[in-house]
Amino acid sequence: MMTSNSLLQRLAKWCPWLLRDEPKKPVKVLVTGAAGQIGYAIVAMIARGLMLGADQPVVLHMLDLPFAADALNGVRMELIDAALPLLRGVVATSDEAKAFEGVNVAILIGGWPRKDGMERKDLISKNVTIYKSQATALQQHAAPNCKVLVVANPANTNALVLKEFAPAIPAKNITCLTRLDHNRALGQVAEKLNVHVGDVKNAIIWGNHSSTQFPDASHATVCTDRGEMPVRELVADEKWLREEFVSTVQQRGAAVIKARKQSSSLSAASAACDHIRDWILGTPKGTWVSMGVYSDGSYGVPEGVFYSFPVTCEKGEWSIVQGLQIDGFARTKMDASATELKEEKSIAYGFL
Amino acid sequence: MAKEPMRVLVTGAAGQIGYALVPMIARGAMLGPDQPVILHMLDIPPATDSLNGVKMELVDAAFPLLKGIVATTDVVEACTGVNVAVMVGGFPRKEGMERKDVMSKNVSIYKSQASALEAHAAPNCKVLVVANPANTNALILKEFAPSFAEKNITCLTRLDHNRALAQIAERLNVQVSDVKNVIIWGNHSSTQYPDVNHATVKTTTGEEPVRKLVADDEWLNSEFITTVQKRGATIITVRKASSALSAASSACDHIRDWVLGTPEGTFVSMGVYSDGSYGVPAGLIYSFPVTCSGGEWKIVQGLPIDEFSRKKMDETAQELSEEKAIAYSCLN
Repeated sequence: MMTSNSLLQRLAKWCPWLLRDEPKKPVKVLVTGAAGQIGYAIVAMIARGLMLGADQPVVLHMLDLPFAADALNGVRMELIDAALPLLRGVVATSDEAKAFEGVNVAILIGGWPRKDGMERKDLISKNVTIYKSQATALQQHAAPNCKVLVVANPANTNALVLKEFAPAIPAKNITCLTRLDHNRALGQVAEKLNVHVGDVKNAIIWGNHSSTQFPDASHATVCTDRGEMPVRELVADEKWLREEFVSTVQQRGAAVIKARKQSSSLSAASAACDHIRDWILGTPKGTWVSMGVYSDGSYGVPEGVFYSFPVTCEKGEWSIVQGLQIDGFARTKMDASATELKEEKSIAYGFL
Repeated sequence: MAKEPMRVLVTGAAGQIGYALVPMIARGAMLGPDQPVILHMLDIPPATDSLNGVKMELVDAAFPLLKGIVATTDVVEACTGVNVAVMVGGFPRKEGMERKDVMSKNVSIYKSQASALEAHAAPNCKVLVVANPANTNALILKEFAPSFAEKNITCLTRLDHNRALAQIAERLNVQVSDVKNVIIWGNHSSTQYPDVNHATVKTTTGEEPVRKLVADDEWLNSEFITTVQKRGATIITVRKASSALSAASSACDHIRDWVLGTPEGTFVSMGVYSDGSYGVPAGLIYSFPVTCSGGEWKIVQGLPIDEFSRKKMDETAQELSEEKAIAYSCLN
């Protein structure tokens, strides 16, 4: 006897327009560190469809530490109170296995924060333990082809630890966030040229999400009434591009903390949404974005580290934009960041 | 052909609700993904650095829809040319403060903001008052902006409305998007009356009344009501902070439905200037069930009101009349 499901399938084959309005299946999205500031900003965006689109239902999984259980429950209650049509379920837990169960997207914000007086190796050491454990949960419980975005710092090295301890997860499915720096770079160029940021594209953030990141506007363009023009030509100030622009973008996080007395949750959450959205839904034609991905040796960057590259995305996959000219200045900067990443890698391995 | 940008003002923008609200507006959640916006953000001078930090973050987020940002402590600059004004800024209730004290502080603020809006906002500017006491702040705004269309001044009860939908959805274990047409009557305070008598749930057999499906009048007439009324306080206890996320989200819903229209067969709750409908005194800002179309709201008429509801609706009207009297006494 034919079930209504297979009847639908046969109808879909012959009359695909009949299923045009069939709602999409919910996507399960995990946010770790969800009781924190970035978590609070991002869960609202996800639940309102701002990450995956206005027609994509979501189930939110939120993970945080036991001491944050009340705060996390409060976030869950607020998400329920918002009566959001796209939000098909909320799981708030301090149990890693439950948090990672069946998730299609994992945004890892939770990590050990840098405290005053902490050495870089202390920060790495604390986070290595966390990301080793999350790797196990990810491998054992996440849905196949789960896409992972590591936000917690040191982001690149946390992503590396995750990859090393979740060998069954394809390395291409693990990334780290440099989209915030990328968006900041676009914003700085837009302000410099007094144009709208939506008209600026193809900045690149190379390397580590740290003070050695290299914001590169040498291939960026601006949409003008004369067509796409190189930023380099319009700015016509190589010194600004190599110095003030680079340091402003590198230090922007600190500048926001100084003004707000808190770190940049709004823009970090927004950038994380952009990263995932472009990864899954694709980058617009002619546009690339920056993502921290597992290096394949492109552009003379060592393999075996997570390094931010210019990428395009299509059909749920990213690929590094190849063939861009790298001048001597860029080479030095890119190598410096690669060196720092190799050092972080040895420090991390020293703790494992 | 791209739409002309709309100017949206958020007062109290350096605060928690503001911080949750501005990225939603800038990402198109309030006015739609094809509607460019220019954000005006107002706060008081002690918050200048913080406000500037929010502006920096909005720049850093590279929002395609965000065509400009005005971050200011000058109320005239803030109000100039705005098409939508979300008034989140107000004097917060501190421990030990009497209701009269909160009222007195806020009445001065809203009187001065009224003049600025009246003189500088774009024609037909739509105003949503969020800061408490929301209904009375909105009333003061209306009273001191006499040339401002009274239909354009509203206050937020959509948060309570959404909370009521969510409580029903949890009780019935259904998706919240399948529940509709609850009503929040009255004051956005502990006398609000969450009413399910006209609410329905979408089931496989069509729209069914909530009262029938819940089959527990005792719960609907007591615990359900107090849960919704006290939800704000509950969130504060659990989060140690107030409900910024859900308030911001509900403010987006309120404006979106007002500007873009409510779906066919659905009504929502808005605090609006009473015309005497349902035996509610005219001249108060009172939450009613409304539909929205063509950028205008209209009170849903002809809903039967039972005795239990009548009493609740009158109680909250009474409180609003008292608040109005207190507010006026503060101004004299």
